[in-house]
Amino acid sequence: MKILKLNSRRSFIWTMGAGASAVLASTAGMAGGETATAADPALQVALLQEEKALRKLHQAFEQALNRGLDEEVIGMFADDAEVLFNGGVFKQRNQGVTRLYRDRFRAGTTGRWMAPAPGFELAADQQRDSVEVAADRKSAQAVFPYSIQVGMPLESDSSLLAMARLHGEGVQTWWEGGVYKIAYRKDAAGNWRIGRLEYDTLTRADYRPGKRHARPISVARMARRFPEDPQGPDDLV
Amino acid sequence: MRIPMHRFKYTKLTKDQIGAKLKPVEGVGPTSASAFTSVLNGKTLKIVTVDGPVLEYKFAANKRLTLREAGKQATAGYGELTLNQIVFFSHLIPGEQKGYNIYIDQKTNLATVFEVWLSSGLKQNAGRPTEFTLDDREVQRQIYFGHVDNGQTAAAKLHHYTNRMTGKGIRWKQDNGIETLELYPSVANTNFVELTRHIDDLGYVAPSDYVLVDDRTIVYNRTECEFSGIHTCFVADLYGPRQVGVRFGFNEKDELEYYMFRGDGKVVGQLAYLEDFDEHGLRPMFAAAPPAAAGVPAVAPTTPPPAPKGARTTYRPVRTFAHMTDAEMQAAADVRTAAFAAPGGAAGPQGATAAGAPPPPLATGNNLPFSDILVGKEFTLRFDNGGPVRDYRIKEMYKLQFRDQKDNVWHDVDYRAYEGDDNLAWFSHIIPDSKPRACVMVAVDFTNGLSTSIESHMGTEYYGNETTYRPVFGVAEMPGLEAPIYVRHELTDELVGNAFSWSYSDQVTSMHLYTSPHSMSWVIFTGAQQLGAEWCSPCIFVKLRPGVYIFCQNEEACNGNQMTELLNTKASHDCGFTFNGGARGVNLGVTGAIGRHIGKFDLLEFYGPKRRA
Repeated sequence: MKILKLNSRRSFIWTMGAGASAVLASTAGMAGGETATAADPALQVALLQEEKALRKLHQAFEQALNRGLDEEVIGMFADDAEVLFNGGVFKQRNQGVTRLYRDRFRAGTTGRWMAPAPGFELAADQQRDSVEVAADRKSAQAVFPYSIQVGMPLESDSSLLAMARLHGEGVQTWWEGGVYKIAYRKDAAGNWRIGRLEYDTLTRADYRPGKRHARPISVARMARRFPEDPQGPDDLV
Repeated sequence: MRIPMHRFKYTKLTKDQIGAKLKPVEGVGPTSASAFTSVLNGKTLKIVTVDGPVLEYKFAANKRLTLREAGKQATAGYGELTLNQIVFFSHLIPGEQKGYNIYIDQKTNLATVFEVWLSSGLKQNAGRPTEFTLDDREVQRQIYFGHVDNGQTAAAKLHHYTNRMTGKGIRWKQDNGIETLELYPSVANTNFVELTRHIDDLGYVAPSDYVLVDDRTIVYNRTECEFSGIHTCFVADLYGPRQVGVRFGFNEKDELEYYMFRGDGKVVGQLAYLEDFDEHGLRPMFAAAPPAAAGVPAVAPTTPPPAPKGARTTYRPVRTFAHMTDAEMQAAADVRTAAFAAPGGAAGPQGATAAGAPPPPLATGNNLPFSDILVGKEFTLRFDNGGPVRDYRIKEMYKLQFRDQKDNVWHDVDYRAYEGDDNLAWFSHIIPDSKPRACVMVAVDFTNGLSTSIESHMGTEYYGNETTYRPVFGVAEMPGLEAPIYVRHELTDELVGNAFSWSYSDQVTSMHLYTSPHSMSWVIFTGAQQLGAEWCSPCIFVKLRPGVYIFCQNEEACNGNQMTELLNTKASHDCGFTFNGGARGVNLGVTGAIGRHIGKFDLLEFYGPKRRA
């Protein structure tokens, strides 16, 4: 299967839009000495449309996360999808993936966009942003940067935390920056679905908006599977 | 009332019993020590509320009204009192175990409507193992904002929820002689001390709502949830301060109280409130939306689902507090009694987390460092009035030897010590093999030769898994230290009325409000630094030195945990110990926090033995 690389820097795409993307895609195809198929203008256009669709899908994914629309998020995954998050693999849309986004992320107010912690901004070369669509247009791979809030409910019998939970709090939160590594594929109806999504965390900081400083932190990887951990992964990596 | 409300066994009144008790008053309405007013006499009113009922009233002579609501008509007795431009009336609806308390601003025609009802059948924690049904005697309330429909265009801005009462405190004296001290530290709760109804000066907490009518006029209510369930609702003119209101519900004797009142107030102080200056408390805490995405433009994705009718931010700890007998507790203690086993336990100082690890969520993050102040010392602590006499030998930082002169057996135990003030040691350890399991938390003043010990053990007359504590006062004896004969540390009321926020870590802060010489409350901050959930407990205060105190509380009828802190107001820091037990055994731990002084109420004039009628 031939892959056409439609690499671009996210900031560049934001600046120049889809037209620029098309130029880049075309250039990449020719410069790479691809086959005649890859150079086929009709296919180029089709691939660019797929890329555009995938970017829109990812934009919708992030917006749904920001708005806490868990079911919308889950609905973007393929039936047998898997998500890698902090050392845990969550499998199957209706099981592990649902457990991750509806239970674990909601409980920890995780996944929503957050401005990078001061001093922890990802370097330009870390802000990878690429979409690679297969020539048959049935699968694709993408990398998008993220900057999100991650949280974990504080576990304690303390009355303070029991009371904080009354107003939806009692969650320890921090900032994470990294890249989503996503494998997409089309379902039987021809709609793009997320087949595999990995949160590749590059940096973490003890930070919340409004603070003027941040410090790096490390977070223990997941160590308990479901069902021992009711919100845990199906496998550990 | 002598038995504290948190210990009182309120009758589980049934719906039928409640109905029978309401029936005699439904037709006549509430009583009042003050003369009723008659502004509404002969009038008809149509009150239209937002997302609530449309109420069509016809007021007749002799305190009778007819209400048409949703096609149903009812006739009932009512009471009416006015305060400035506000006319307030209250009535029940026969046979429905519900009624309305309605405040109408006659200048603006705006109205705040309280629907109140009993026998709600409301479930909490629905679907979870901890599900329970609220007591039928607990008065429920739902607040609607609206206007009197007189055919003219309604005012665009209705009465609304507010945080403008936050931090205020008022002593109210009603026309029936009832005096209550009310402190409003939270947007969702009230601290109240019954100065005439109760024998003890204990502060309690009840969920509340605060409604802004105008800059001087507030409508308020509280319901004594988890206690009698009685409801107090009034409008206050803060310029007076004056109030008119109603009390509705069942007291500890299961008597129906349904009376209206006038009252005069005295402002007792103001605490700071710390939320952003553009936060006006328009959204009640019980309807709070989930925290917004951090930094995401504040575009509401969808209209948040409305809070269920009757929702309120109510802490109900005893519902999930498992009862253990003394024997069960002792058995658990025999299996496991841990001292300082939490982070930084036997191996090293607390609060020191692994490099790069997230800060610990609870208790120890902002504690003072442990001190070697005791290392190398040998001394005797001799407590008064036949109290214990203990000899100590301390050679290292985390282990000490002690013996009680009563049994003359030396014990080796783990301990932790702080230097809470200059040359003032504050340490704790378990009493080995004690039954019930016991510990001591000891202040030793090596400058003044004084000592106080908080002697604690598992078990109260109510729960095996609650702690009991008592302070004993005495002296420290060692070569070179002259112990006084008369001077002692002593119980104090110097902290009463003060409020401090205590940040145990960057993640956990609560505000302590020292409500009386015998009680305190703690209030939880939201992420926006609004003060919200709140609960209370008895406590004691001991003065060690100017600005240096021991504060000791047990979260009674809550989780039974004891927290004992040495509180240094000069440094705005506290440090101390926790002691608790349960099915997992007994634990003696450490705690400490950075403090901020939030303000002070002047309360002392209201406390102490009183001349009673």
